[in-house]
Amino acid sequence: MLKLHNLSRIYRTDDVETVALNNVNIEIGQGEFVAIMGPSGCGKSTLLNLIGMLDSPSDGQYYFNDEQISGYSEKQLAVIRKHHIGFIFQNFNLIEELTVAENIELALLYHNIPASERKEKVDEVMDMVGIAHRAKHMPSQLSGGQQQRVAVARAVVGNQGLILADEPTGNLDSTHGHEVMEMLRTLNDKGTTIVMVTHSPAHADFANRTINLFDGKVVTESVRAA
Amino acid sequence: MFKNYLITAWRNIIKNGMFSVINIAGLALGLMSCILIMLFVREETGFDKWLPDSERIVRMHSAYYVSGNPPFETVRSAGNMMEAIRDYASNEVEEGVRLIHFGATVRKQESALAEQITLVDGSFFNVFDLPFVHGSAQTSFTKPYDLIITEDIAIKYFGKTDVVGEIMTVCCVGPEPSPVPVTGVIKNLPDETHLELGMLAYVDPKIIENNAGLNTWTSVNVYTYFKMRVGTSIQQLQERITYWVNNESPLLDMYLKNVGELAPGAQISDNMKHKLMQLEDLHLKAKQDAGNMGDLTPMGDHNLIVTFTIVACLILLIACINFMNLSTARVSHRAREVAMRKVLGASRSQVVVQFLSEAIALVFISMILALILVELVLPLYNLALGRQLELALFTDLSLIASLLVIGLLIGLGAGIYPAMFLSRFLPADLLRSSKGGESSTASNLRTGLVVVQFATSIALVVCTAVIYGQTLYAQSVDVGYVSDDKLVLNVRAAGDNRDRLKHELLKLPEINSVVFSSEVPTQDNENNNTFTLIDGEHVNGENPSVLLNYHDIGYDFFEAYGVKPIAGRLFSLDFGSDMIQFEGRKEGDKGRANVILNQTAIDKYGFTSAQQAIGKTLDTNMANGHLMTIVGVVPDIYFRSIKFGVRATVYSMNPNRLRVASLSFNTSNVSQLMEKVEQVWKTNVPMQPINLQFLDQMMKAQYAEENIQVKMFSAFSMLAIVIACLGLYGLAAYTTERRTREIGIRKVMGANIKDIVALLVWQFSKPVLMANLIAWPVSVYLMLTWLESFSYRINSLWLLPVCFTVGLALLLLAWITVGGNAAHVAKANPIKALRRD
Ligand SMILES: Nc1ncnc2c1ncn2[C@@H]1O[C@H](COP(=O)(O)OP(=O)(O)O)[C@@H](O)[C@H]1O
Ligand SMILES: [Mg+2]
Repeated sequence: MLKLHNLSRIYRTDDVETVALNNVNIEIGQGEFVAIMGPSGCGKSTLLNLIGMLDSPSDGQYYFNDEQISGYSEKQLAVIRKHHIGFIFQNFNLIEELTVAENIELALLYHNIPASERKEKVDEVMDMVGIAHRAKHMPSQLSGGQQQRVAVARAVVGNQGLILADEPTGNLDSTHGHEVMEMLRTLNDKGTTIVMVTHSPAHADFANRTINLFDGKVVTESVRAA
Repeated sequence: MFKNYLITAWRNIIKNGMFSVINIAGLALGLMSCILIMLFVREETGFDKWLPDSERIVRMHSAYYVSGNPPFETVRSAGNMMEAIRDYASNEVEEGVRLIHFGATVRKQESALAEQITLVDGSFFNVFDLPFVHGSAQTSFTKPYDLIITEDIAIKYFGKTDVVGEIMTVCCVGPEPSPVPVTGVIKNLPDETHLELGMLAYVDPKIIENNAGLNTWTSVNVYTYFKMRVGTSIQQLQERITYWVNNESPLLDMYLKNVGELAPGAQISDNMKHKLMQLEDLHLKAKQDAGNMGDLTPMGDHNLIVTFTIVACLILLIACINFMNLSTARVSHRAREVAMRKVLGASRSQVVVQFLSEAIALVFISMILALILVELVLPLYNLALGRQLELALFTDLSLIASLLVIGLLIGLGAGIYPAMFLSRFLPADLLRSSKGGESSTASNLRTGLVVVQFATSIALVVCTAVIYGQTLYAQSVDVGYVSDDKLVLNVRAAGDNRDRLKHELLKLPEINSVVFSSEVPTQDNENNNTFTLIDGEHVNGENPSVLLNYHDIGYDFFEAYGVKPIAGRLFSLDFGSDMIQFEGRKEGDKGRANVILNQTAIDKYGFTSAQQAIGKTLDTNMANGHLMTIVGVVPDIYFRSIKFGVRATVYSMNPNRLRVASLSFNTSNVSQLMEKVEQVWKTNVPMQPINLQFLDQMMKAQYAEENIQVKMFSAFSMLAIVIACLGLYGLAAYTTERRTREIGIRKVMGANIKDIVALLVWQFSKPVLMANLIAWPVSVYLMLTWLESFSYRINSLWLLPVCFTVGLALLLLAWITVGGNAAHVAKANPIKALRRD
């Protein structure tokens, strides 16, 4: 599904140059569930942002569904993103001024879908993640676990084939964290490709492949026997 | 999609209550100022455009330049010009018309009312195609003095408009009071015209031929208009007229005969200019050609219009800066939303559109508020301006269109920067720090914008203060005569009863003296004539022929006005007759009379002392030729408005020209006095309207225009400050909110409240101080230039303390604005601030 070839990302601030990713080569196939691990600051979020096209590489090629996308314009990237990729963040990133339902609907707004159909889909995913009874609430009125469920719902409402999750359980207690992992597994079982950054070995066990990053480089890859 | 934008926008407005209020209030005030100014400017610039073919109609102005004398400029022209030019330039001119204005009285039942009557050529309606209610251009002007009136006049005198065939008794269109038939009624003219036409009377060329004041090439007593042929440009006609003046007109011969040789290389058209001005420009630009005389109606001021348009733009700029500053300051609050929208597939342009729509929505909310405010203050504004401006929101399409355009432009102008700023970031950057990317460039830019705001406000206030000071100063100048406790009564209508009237008025115990003159101070005239020292005596090498402005005064005039001679004497019956003589002279003999000169006139002739001039004789063609002996010299008094300065003046005593009486009184019960004077008038001058005014009010009226300008400047610069302070308050509140954590840490480290308030206040003092550095030189330069146009002006050193005071006042204001908020934050418990993420 996606292939990174010699991908690098260098941050240049006024006087410091940080090599966050250094010649990374990764290939991820359709339907995989990949966990990315590594110490803080090793470049995990950078990698995920590059995969999610939220950031552009400094060097190297990125093939998405066999398309070389590193030269694409922001607009073209936005189009791919909205059709294929869903995001889940550690701090949920829900919009505080919008209700639960409106937050989820946001993912469909840029899709040219009629309002009635949007509502249907939103209701459907809210049922799926068990948040329907909170549809009219504001994010600030929900617990962290509930907020992350809303974020999951938002990530999948557009039928995205790839979900990128950056420490989705990092702000949650273990029970809620486990719930979210279960949800991701269910999605993966239905065929969604998932790439997830985590610090928890237990949560990494949900994945069928783990990539270990250190200092911007892939150090080990382990595939879990099915 | 749009609904979603609206929801987000609305909830943001609600959530950031204070910022929204500041934003909306600031913009509403800015828009209100802008709309008020726009209403004024629109009316001023819309004059006469409604007249059919207005773009083809021009008026001819005259300007005479005689070396050694002040230029003589006027919007009028000589009576013979129109026909001569129309016939000569027939390829360019389709039609021409003369307007001759004069005050008349019209009888209504048992009383008489003063009216303006305009005598016009029969071609009037071919130039000014005014719509008729009754009658027509073809049928209404058939014989001399046929009278066409407006609906208003018809209703005033007859209570209805269908008055063709009715008779009005008018004094004096013809030689004496006479009944004239109304032959047509025209629609009332709209306010936006420089014309003043209530009653039009037809004069045929013969009447003009027989009138010395009109049958002339040089005396300017008529207003001349031409309608140009289609396709002719004003330059073409102007060139044609200049050619005619130089090659065909009698002007050169007259000049050579009366004045002397032209300067080498000069043409007569350089000395006697005949300038055309487009009809549509007359209201605003006639002033530049008008010299010291006015136009038919009060003239507008082109510079003032430009100035106020600039002021409106500046105020809007200040309001827009508020908007930009508060929006970008709140970037961090919106950063996550923007990032998420982009993550979810929104393109940059969609984010830009969202924020622009939000800005435009906010602008239109402010616009509605502004319109309500305008409706509320309009009566006051009209009162101050002396206008009847209206906000015709539902009928005036161009007004609606301009409001929409203004709203859109401001929305785009103020919204584009925040929108571009917010949408610029890569979503990864925005998401990385939950507080969003607040770069130092952004906050530097904000500080820069605050500097611009305050520099603008300070400059506006400094200019206002200087204009105010100058206006006060001009009115406080010692005019050189006593103006208190004087009534001015026009006695032209009294005719032969003038002396009896005086006698009766003096019987009133409140009245000390009654003196006559041709004008009273403040009544400008342009009566000038050449007076030559007899035998062509060159005193100290000066030209013996001087153009003097002349006034006629009766006995005791200067005594009543408290003016004392600096040499010689005032007019007095003790020395035989000082008067100009009309009777008992042989044909060709010169009359003899005595005159008084002012100091400036003495200087012009080259006399080194006033005494030296006493006994000298001036030769003049006035009053059929007179030799006038200088018997006295008086100091320069501001007989005219201070704006025009002092002219070289001669005071003579022509009994035929004593048209006004100055009544000195000694009572504080002025209303009772007015009644008594009126009673005396009624019994002595029946059937004539009284024209009675207080001299000090006439003096005030000279500055009416300036006082209005000062009021407008003060009001709008106050508004500018309020708006700028609103913005500063919002920004300060926002910054302190952002810095609560820092403040908490500082407090933990031992800073006290005073330190923290000082820290925050200093942060906002810097831009205000910087604003002063920009505003001072700019406003000083502007005001020095402005002051140059006044002959009597305040000392320019005053500018420094004014700048300093204004700067200090605004700094204090900024401190108050920022300080309250800072103190509040500084007092808060630091633990609370630190616990919050
Ligand atoms: N926008 C940025 N500007 C500069 N340096 C950055 C930026 N984002 C990340 N970095 C640096 O890049 C490195 C990798 O960061 P990141 O991918 O966030 O690590 P992880 O997610 O593994 O903790 C770090 O050293 C971080 O400081
Ligand atoms: Mg990270």
